[in-house]
Amino acid sequence: MSLTLEIVTPEARVYSDTVDSVVIPTVEGEIGILPGHLPLLTQVAHGELVVAQPGGGQERLAIGGGFAQISGDKVSVLAEHACSEDSIDERAVEEAMKRAQQQIEESQHLDPQQYEQLQKLVNYAGAQLSLKRRSR
Amino acid sequence: MASTRDIRRRIKSVKNTRQITRAMELVAASKMKRAQQATLAGRPYALLMADMLGALASRVDGTQHPFLEKREIKTRGILLLTTNIGLCGALNANLFKLVGEVKSAAKFVAIGRKGAQYLARTKRDLIAEFVVDDRGSFNEVKVAIEFMTERFLAGEIDTIEVIYPRFKNTLVQTPLLRPVLPLSNVRDFAATLEVEAGVHSDSPTDTREMLFEPSAPEVLDALLPFYVNRFIHQLVLSARASEFSARMVAMKTAKDNASKLLDDLTLEYNKARQAAITQEILEIAAAQYVAA
Repeated sequence: MSLTLEIVTPEARVYSDTVDSVVIPTVEGEIGILPGHLPLLTQVAHGELVVAQPGGGQERLAIGGGFAQISGDKVSVLAEHACSEDSIDERAVEEAMKRAQQQIEESQHLDPQQYEQLQKLVNYAGAQLSLKRRSR
Repeated sequence: MASTRDIRRRIKSVKNTRQITRAMELVAASKMKRAQQATLAGRPYALLMADMLGALASRVDGTQHPFLEKREIKTRGILLLTTNIGLCGALNANLFKLVGEVKSAAKFVAIGRKGAQYLARTKRDLIAEFVVDDRGSFNEVKVAIEFMTERFLAGEIDTIEVIYPRFKNTLVQTPLLRPVLPLSNVRDFAATLEVEAGVHSDSPTDTREMLFEPSAPEVLDALLPFYVNRFIHQLVLSARASEFSARMVAMKTAKDNASKLLDDLTLEYNKARQAAITQEILEIAAAQYVAA
């Protein structure tokens, strides 16, 4: 028994493979999905998605906001951003995070939409960094 | 017969035109590539989203959210996606034909200057015009969409529909009117999307009871606006890919035309030149004959 995992962002299909299990960060906490899970539709939070591969290996991806659907043995994740551990450029992410935080602090009259946008950026950057640093 | 000088002048001007159209073709071609990639890359996302929405909508009551509710249609809200500049063949004209077919009361929102101009000229009720850059960035599109959804929720307009050129391939773009809200029948909608994209879900649909976290209404509240934004953005990307494809093809045709014209003119020029030379030789020969 195995699961089919698919992670799709607006830019590309990031991941599409057969896996043993997957841990998804949801707004209510992390959930682990094994084959035979009940159908579920849930909101995905910013954080770390852990894939257990059939060979016994593990892969971690940083993921930013979206939805996940489990239907049969198919796990589909619809995320605004997603990237694998290797493709994270720590320095670039740090800088992006700093820039966004600065913008939030400097301008008092941000309209709520912009604020939300920036906050999302910061959250996603945070998720990327914690993933990269932990693996050292 | 035109003098050789006149012909030379025309040759020069046609050459200039050819150079300009060739440059524009190259620019459009590179932009087209990027735009096409963007729209094709976004399709699986839109599909998956429609799939999720379908699964969700079939399990909740349609009256739980204003986006799903069926209501009497008094004023339609139509978003018209056109280009900012011309020189793209019949792309905009084909869209305007579709606009002309809208007879019922409707309010229009335009993205793209050409569309706004057309709506103003034909005295349609244009309530807003938005400008979106060539890449069709999500944040800029979002402003326009949120403007429309606000009007929709306030009851000022009763539908949200989009008229846009659907990108099929470089040579074919079909003008299309696509209803977005209200989503009274999501399942059919997801199915049409799948047929258009040329995929069909091979996995049997799971009809078991589905869990929603945190809860069905909350997921619905989050997913629906998200869906509307992303879906219309995808249409904008498609419109952009169509624009650059149409422009590239139009410019290529113009360039080829110029080349053909140039060939004809060169031939005519050579003929005229040859005729003048023959004339001169004849005159000299005749003069010598008389002198002798």
